[in-house]
Amino acid sequence: MTAIESPMPRSVGRILRPRTRQTLLLWCFLAPSLVIFLLYRVIPVIWNLVLSFQYWSPLKAAEFAGWDHYEDLWFDDVFWQALWNTLIVIASAPIGIALALGLALLVNADIRGRNVYRTIIFLSYPLMTVAVAIIWRWMFDERVGLINYAARTFDLVDKPIPFLNSFTWALPSVIVANIWQMLGFYMIILLAGLQNVPRELHEAAAIDGAGALHRFTRITLPLIRPSLFLAFVIGMLNAITSFDLVYVMTGGGPGRATEILVTYIYKLGFVQTKFDSAAAVTIVFFVLLISIAWAANRFTGGNAGAVETE
Amino acid sequence: MMGRYPRWPIHFALIGAGIVMLVPFYWVLKTSVSGENIYAYPPSIVPRHIHPFFYIDVWYSIPFARYFLNSVAVSIIAVVCNVAFNAMAGYALTHGFRGKNAVMLLFLSCMMVPFQATIIPAYLITGKLGLLDSWLGLALPQCSTIICIFVFKSSFDAVPRSLIDAARIDGLPEWRIIWHIMLPLSRSAIATNVILAFIWSWNNFLWPLIMTRSADMQTLPLGLARFLSYQEDTTGALYAFCIMVLAPGLVLFLMAQKEFIQGLTSGATKG
Amino acid sequence: MKRRSVVKAALTGATVLAAPAYLRAQSSKKLSILTWNIADQQELFKQEFADFKAANPGVEIEWLDKKGPDLPAFYQTQIVAGTPPDIVDLQGAIWVDYAANGGLVDLTPYLQKEPDVAKRFNADYLKGWAYQGKTYLLPFYVAKTLLYYNKTMFQEAGLAGPPQSFDELLGFSEKMAKAEKTGFLTLNFDWLYWPLFKMNGIELLSPDGKKAAFNTPQTADALTKLAKATASGGVNKISWTGRWVEPNGAFAAGTVGMLHAHSSSYFFVKGQGPWINGQTLGAAQLPGFWSTPTNHGFAISKGSKNPDLAWKFITHVTSDKWASAFFKNRSVLTANLAADNAGLAEMEKTDPLAAAVLRTQIEHTDKLTGNWPLPYDAELKDAFWPEIQNAALGRKEPQKALADAERTVNRLLSRKA
Repeated sequence: MTAIESPMPRSVGRILRPRTRQTLLLWCFLAPSLVIFLLYRVIPVIWNLVLSFQYWSPLKAAEFAGWDHYEDLWFDDVFWQALWNTLIVIASAPIGIALALGLALLVNADIRGRNVYRTIIFLSYPLMTVAVAIIWRWMFDERVGLINYAARTFDLVDKPIPFLNSFTWALPSVIVANIWQMLGFYMIILLAGLQNVPRELHEAAAIDGAGALHRFTRITLPLIRPSLFLAFVIGMLNAITSFDLVYVMTGGGPGRATEILVTYIYKLGFVQTKFDSAAAVTIVFFVLLISIAWAANRFTGGNAGAVETE
Repeated sequence: MMGRYPRWPIHFALIGAGIVMLVPFYWVLKTSVSGENIYAYPPSIVPRHIHPFFYIDVWYSIPFARYFLNSVAVSIIAVVCNVAFNAMAGYALTHGFRGKNAVMLLFLSCMMVPFQATIIPAYLITGKLGLLDSWLGLALPQCSTIICIFVFKSSFDAVPRSLIDAARIDGLPEWRIIWHIMLPLSRSAIATNVILAFIWSWNNFLWPLIMTRSADMQTLPLGLARFLSYQEDTTGALYAFCIMVLAPGLVLFLMAQKEFIQGLTSGATKG
Repeated sequence: MKRRSVVKAALTGATVLAAPAYLRAQSSKKLSILTWNIADQQELFKQEFADFKAANPGVEIEWLDKKGPDLPAFYQTQIVAGTPPDIVDLQGAIWVDYAANGGLVDLTPYLQKEPDVAKRFNADYLKGWAYQGKTYLLPFYVAKTLLYYNKTMFQEAGLAGPPQSFDELLGFSEKMAKAEKTGFLTLNFDWLYWPLFKMNGIELLSPDGKKAAFNTPQTADALTKLAKATASGGVNKISWTGRWVEPNGAFAAGTVGMLHAHSSSYFFVKGQGPWINGQTLGAAQLPGFWSTPTNHGFAISKGSKNPDLAWKFITHVTSDKWASAFFKNRSVLTANLAADNAGLAEMEKTDPLAAAVLRTQIEHTDKLTGNWPLPYDAELKDAFWPEIQNAALGRKEPQKALADAERTVNRLLSRKA
């Protein structure tokens, strides 16, 4: 964050005033966005924080609860299951990113029709998640879903697999749908990174006799770290907030096999009328996200890509 | 890179990926126009007895036109606000000023807030603003998005400093610098903003669910979910509805995809 | 501390300020009614509203409808904002939570003042809406579980009629199970599977409701048998994993001998199963005549500005006339005695099979189970069911599962005490 020169012509005596004025102006530019985030992000988080230390429901006045809700969470199997599932979903983001990196390398090659490929691969991202969930539910259908049909036709299985009703398969199925939707988005972000890798570097390395793999790991990967970080953060956010997907595809079931923290927050609040406990889960969730983003930032070299560089 | 390698394995792999991406679309489209019992086994690969019955069914079973209008109106508000607010904020962030780090930190943490957890306070706040059950209220929480602010910021960063300084020396006020210099040079960032804002607002589900009250204010995703729960997934009409809901977003994306992909690629990471 | 009070003040301010806008719109004679996923009955509601307005001039009615899982979310945000719909259609046990927290109007005084209203209804179904001796809802429509059986599969297996005991139920299932075919399937959401335990004399909680009572040798025995039958294919696995479409769809496919489900399943199954007719489908009670209801009723929100008018309205829509119209439109029982009897008599002529299915819903209404009025029903369900599921699917030893369930349930109960 280097100091920026004042854009105003600086005559020594007038340094302060125009700068202050400009700062004020910049704050005015930020104001609409800040107000929106304040109203719909910051206040709700504070509200949740306060609520997580209270007993409260829409029908009951608030009462101080201390750490009770957090203590309950500690003994709550569903919470741990949901947390575990959330971590699995987060851990699946790198799989999608790896696939997308492969695709990005391919569509970055100098081939005919690469724009068409890019468009096709990206096409799933703009879709409404509720619709994506419906589409994939249909693909996974036990009786007439395409996946079971293909598997049976090619004799891969004797009996159709009830994907979304199976403890083993339900979560992977949801993850597959999620990766399918996000793949194009990851690809575009990584493509951006790839395009910023100076071609001369590769050429120079090739002349020095470095193999393709070597060039990839030594030149490309380090240079696209910021893109990887950005893809990971967005992927993580998208994956674990993919409420609509889980809500429509499995509703969290079977059992708790696909319960993730956001669906659990929703259920605690609106099905069980325990907004106070839900608030405690929200806070845990928030802290978890922040720490993972922080860790990912450290891991990719402390440079948070576009998001923080200057 | 230099055209010495064979191309066909790349095409082969990409066609494979393309098929994986497109098949689900095809499967749903096929179901939506098939006249047969959709639970017949084995499912047919090509649609049999093609007819538009399910589409007509959808049209008459919900006030599709009204929901469509609501979705469009809300999306337009969201898109316009996004472009304006995000451009302003993005511009501000290209400068250094007191408190910038705090703002950055705030933005980054705001990205981490799951919307599901904000429903009740968001509802109360919107109520206080008197915007419940209105288009503006539906759009408001999405009138500025953090990713898009950074898309603008990166795009503005790429504008040569000298150009801006020259404009300043000419005495142009800040808003005119944005309007006359920055924005024309950031077409792809605008396209990205338009599309992302549109997609997010068009696809939003939980917020309209909670905050719309009258039947006249429902949006398409609500119609879709209502359809799903009432009919379960037992009729092709559900899939017809999916197609009808998805089509506008896809069309918009295809129309602006070149700028969009460009905007996202130049915005996502700094050059 | 300071920040907290600021936020609280801000939120209180928000509520207060949000309210007047709504109240202004809410003229003294306006009623809003929130129904549970029944938008298909728009025409009927319009007529009912028109009729009501004619009898009560100057009344305005706002009708809202939300789908099942979304309704509680919507209703609760409305309560927080201080603008609850006057009348709400609630399903299952969620009302107990609202009633226990003082969110619903006690209808008992109204019922005492107008004794004719209570007499309209099947007493057992009306009783289902009472919590701690007070009645909070009037029945809108009702359903309880029954046993559907595939007569063709019964004949193939040499079985004469529906099973009369738990062991027979499992025995029959085993007989019908081979290759793709399975013998028995139950719906499992809410407490719909509970009759399987109840018929073995198992109680969920001690009589005072303070302790789990289910961890007994009988339960372990029943659960072991169920797990065994599930592993062998006698009991279809979907019983423990499916929700609504999957189990009903499986039975409709004609490969399951018996289905334990609601009367509402009938129309779904019939729509998907071309094989279904009076010769091939039987409708019976489970052994012991136990069943679990899933009922809909009308409640009045405590926040209603016009509770008396709201009461008038719910007696209007549950009257003989409109209950009959509803029965006719939706082919569902209303617990209104006159409407149900007339509707069934009519139906016997047009669709005897459907009538036979619906008939089961007004028989043995004294043997309803799995509908305990506990304000923390949802939590109890979440504490209990996963272990049952684990045991039935063979993922855990029944004894171990029951012990784990007992521990979680007792922990829950001790916190609620």
